[in-house]
Amino acid sequence: MTEIVASNPEVREFKSYPPKPRKLTGSSIAILVFLTMCAAFVAIPLYVIIVTSLKDMAQIRFGDIFSLPEVWTLEPWRVAWDEVCSGVTCEGVKIGFFNSIMILIPSLILSIGLSAVTGYALALWNVKWAGTFLFILFTAAFVPFQIIMIPLIIMSGIIKVYGTVWGVAIVHAVLAMPLLTLIFRNYYKDIPSEIMNAAIMDSGSFWKIFGEIILPMSGNIMIVVLILQITSIWNDFLIGLTFGGIGTKPMTVILANSVITSRGEVTYNVDMAAALLTAIPPLLIYFVLGKFFVQGITAGAIKG
Amino acid sequence: MPCVEFRNIAKQYGRVTVLDELDLTVEDGEFLVLLGPSGCGKTTLLNLLAGLIETTAGTITIDGRDVTEADPKDRGLAMVFQSYALYPTKTVRGNLRFGLSSQKLDKAEVDRRVAWAAKLLQIEPLLDRKPGQLSGGQRQRVAIGRALVKNVGVFLFDEPLSNLDAKLRTEMRLEIKRLHNELHQTIVYVTHDQIEAMTMATRIAVMDGGVIQQIGTPDEIYETPANLFVAQFIGAPAMNMLKGTLKVAGDRVTAQLDEVGAELDLSGHAFASAPENGAPIVAGLRPEHFSVGQTAESEATSFALPVRYTEKTGGDATAFLNTKSDNGLLAVRVDPALVAALESGGDLAVSFPASRINLFDARSGQRM
Amino acid sequence: MQVRWSKWSPRIALIPAVVITAVAFVGAICWTIYISFTRSRRFPEYEIDFSEWGRQYERLFNDGAWETSLQNLLVLGIGSALAIVLGFILAAMIEREKRGEGFFRTIFLYPLAVSLIVTGIVWRWLFNPDLGIENFLQQLGFENASFNWLAAPDTAMYGIILASIWHGSGFYMALMLAGLKGINTEIWSAAKLDGVSFWRFYIEIVIPMMKFTFLTCAILLSLGVVKAYDIIVAMTNGGPGSSTWMPAFFTINAYAGRSNIAYASAAAVIMLLITAAIFIPLVLVTAWQTRRREAQQV
Repeated sequence: MTEIVASNPEVREFKSYPPKPRKLTGSSIAILVFLTMCAAFVAIPLYVIIVTSLKDMAQIRFGDIFSLPEVWTLEPWRVAWDEVCSGVTCEGVKIGFFNSIMILIPSLILSIGLSAVTGYALALWNVKWAGTFLFILFTAAFVPFQIIMIPLIIMSGIIKVYGTVWGVAIVHAVLAMPLLTLIFRNYYKDIPSEIMNAAIMDSGSFWKIFGEIILPMSGNIMIVVLILQITSIWNDFLIGLTFGGIGTKPMTVILANSVITSRGEVTYNVDMAAALLTAIPPLLIYFVLGKFFVQGITAGAIKG
Repeated sequence: MPCVEFRNIAKQYGRVTVLDELDLTVEDGEFLVLLGPSGCGKTTLLNLLAGLIETTAGTITIDGRDVTEADPKDRGLAMVFQSYALYPTKTVRGNLRFGLSSQKLDKAEVDRRVAWAAKLLQIEPLLDRKPGQLSGGQRQRVAIGRALVKNVGVFLFDEPLSNLDAKLRTEMRLEIKRLHNELHQTIVYVTHDQIEAMTMATRIAVMDGGVIQQIGTPDEIYETPANLFVAQFIGAPAMNMLKGTLKVAGDRVTAQLDEVGAELDLSGHAFASAPENGAPIVAGLRPEHFSVGQTAESEATSFALPVRYTEKTGGDATAFLNTKSDNGLLAVRVDPALVAALESGGDLAVSFPASRINLFDARSGQRM
Repeated sequence: MQVRWSKWSPRIALIPAVVITAVAFVGAICWTIYISFTRSRRFPEYEIDFSEWGRQYERLFNDGAWETSLQNLLVLGIGSALAIVLGFILAAMIEREKRGEGFFRTIFLYPLAVSLIVTGIVWRWLFNPDLGIENFLQQLGFENASFNWLAAPDTAMYGIILASIWHGSGFYMALMLAGLKGINTEIWSAAKLDGVSFWRFYIEIVIPMMKFTFLTCAILLSLGVVKAYDIIVAMTNGGPGSSTWMPAFFTINAYAGRSNIAYASAAAVIMLLITAAIFIPLVLVTAWQTRRREAQQV
């Protein structure tokens, strides 16, 4: 009757002790000072961009970029959203915002759907040439965009998607496929082979096993990949620039056009507001889902 | 009627041959245990039967149907895995149901079978839990349940008890045996644990190096091992192996065992072929067949050797005696009451009945 | 014999990925390489004049802007390597101090969520001679302070380097932190017991143990530098003159600005070769590490 004698750790109560305060030594202080200075260097641009976007031009012309707004105004934000000119159209960065969303959604569905299935097939099913194919994908993930850009432009012209949001979305999905497939494959590879064997004996259906067993087990990696993809598609400039047409360019391109190639008097507060508006979606994701974000960028590291 | 038949099976990974020219028949309703050390090919054989890996050559038939090229789900098998392999995102009920997904059954039948298996295994209160919320023993029951609901003729077990602690293992051993007695289905069970094999099997196939060394009932395997490997693999403490040489003089056959300094009278031994004078042999003596002191039995061999140490495991005790060769040990099962007396050292006189001797040809390793 | 769908469905599922790889990557690369030997201008021409098949490459290496691009590649590569050094120092200090780890990590990493276009626009604003940091410093009394780097050809690249370091050091910090946490804690304890000094411990023990993390960082950084385009557009748009051109910028310009497909293709092929030169060591390191990990498991 050993069970009765044995103490039950769940029942036993432990005294709670107050946390011991750590001593603040000289080297600790030096390190914290250095880290704080570096943090200031990293944080200052964000601070400057925010305060500038809330000032009026009169104060900006006076200089002193670090000062707080004397008159707090949201006018630059309104102008940036609604009125700023990009090329010949003056309808604000909101056009780009909606274009970016229109690009984002189909390319997320396409790239993640395709890559998850491909990664699953390569990791858990016996495909003889899987090793070779993975190596090709690994190589493809590193290829500079410029080497495939011109043929992709020609091909997207042939299938009549060049210059449309669909064109940009498809190119994003194609370019993301190798890396995302590798990420999914590495995740699925760690699923115990016995679970896969059991599923093969129980069902044997490639799609049923994917839908009922594997997909429900991919929650974590899905969030990581989703964040990685949202950030990289939202922040992309080059693909949007080369594949987007008039009126279908993403937010980064609209922003660059309005800030860099604007004529007449430069309204820095509007520029900064437009830049902030563009940066807010990924920043929001970062500050809310930081843990997954770090996993995502580390997994997607090879994207550079 | 043979239920499962392997004919001329070969399995190679690249240049490495794991199994070659293997034949094995499993009768209907049999509980066959594939027993052997790790790397002996027993799990490979099971996976070949399940269809999880493909044969290099040979055919596998189940219930007379050639399934060598069939999909795992079409073979009419159910399998219980070592790590249980429960689907972590599904409830227990979902796990059992998914086991039926390849059989096209209506919902009522699925529910009926799930309820039946849950009742049989006493996992009804767990049906809506996820595997992560279950203990090891409960997971094991669910894994067995997932196999049972399929209502197939052949069940495969791949070392299902190796992740359980000793107490649970004993319980589950009885449980599986009970299920077999109630359901009479054919079971092919892989393990490296001889206790599991001895307690559950109707027949045991002992494997080593990709070859089936012996196949027989637990008693046959234990009492009359076919060769040196089986003799040494089965039994704990292991069978004592003593080298010797045969002497044939007319009708009288003896063997001189130098290690214990005794002569064995083998005149009454049923040799498989005529004994040859001067042939090297190995005599196998099980520790529990010794008796301490002199016996009345005339055909017994007696000798005395110094005690090196004793081991007491609850109700049993074993004395280890120094043999005359370097570092040689002879294990003798003794009455635990004797242990105290033996610890003071000195010689222990033992005798061994001739009828219990296992005799092997030292050159071929085969039983004589 | 019955069809074994378990054999065929994974292969069917792989068809889209295989087709995409074959067409959009392998096929497209071959096409670009082929075109780089032709005389194509606005539209692709498929005839190769074998007497002067290498004319695009010849032109390329006689082009001053291309020479600048390659030089800048080196300058940006070496300059932004500071981000790795900074990343390591930050990671080591965070790992040692532990206090405020979450806070500092969050601050150091946020630039990575900001697009390079926005990064460039912000730093352009900070570099603004009349209203930016230079003005601020002069108002503070540093009359000779000069922070108008982007306006002069010989300092413009430094401005881009600074912005790249701001954007990237957090990323390298995260990789280094992961590497540092991978070091066996017993080694830290042993060093503490032995009384090894702070500096010696890092230089003699930690850095050698992290050589593969450093190598990975260096390779990732190089690949990023080869692709550098957005930041150039946002900060200088290649200027002043062509002083901040980079190969990626040059290639896009040859295509979109000069409408010369063959010329752009030749530049892209050189970019591919540079990438390959960086990529091959990565493959070797990865293979080596995988083998080592497997050997450890056995």
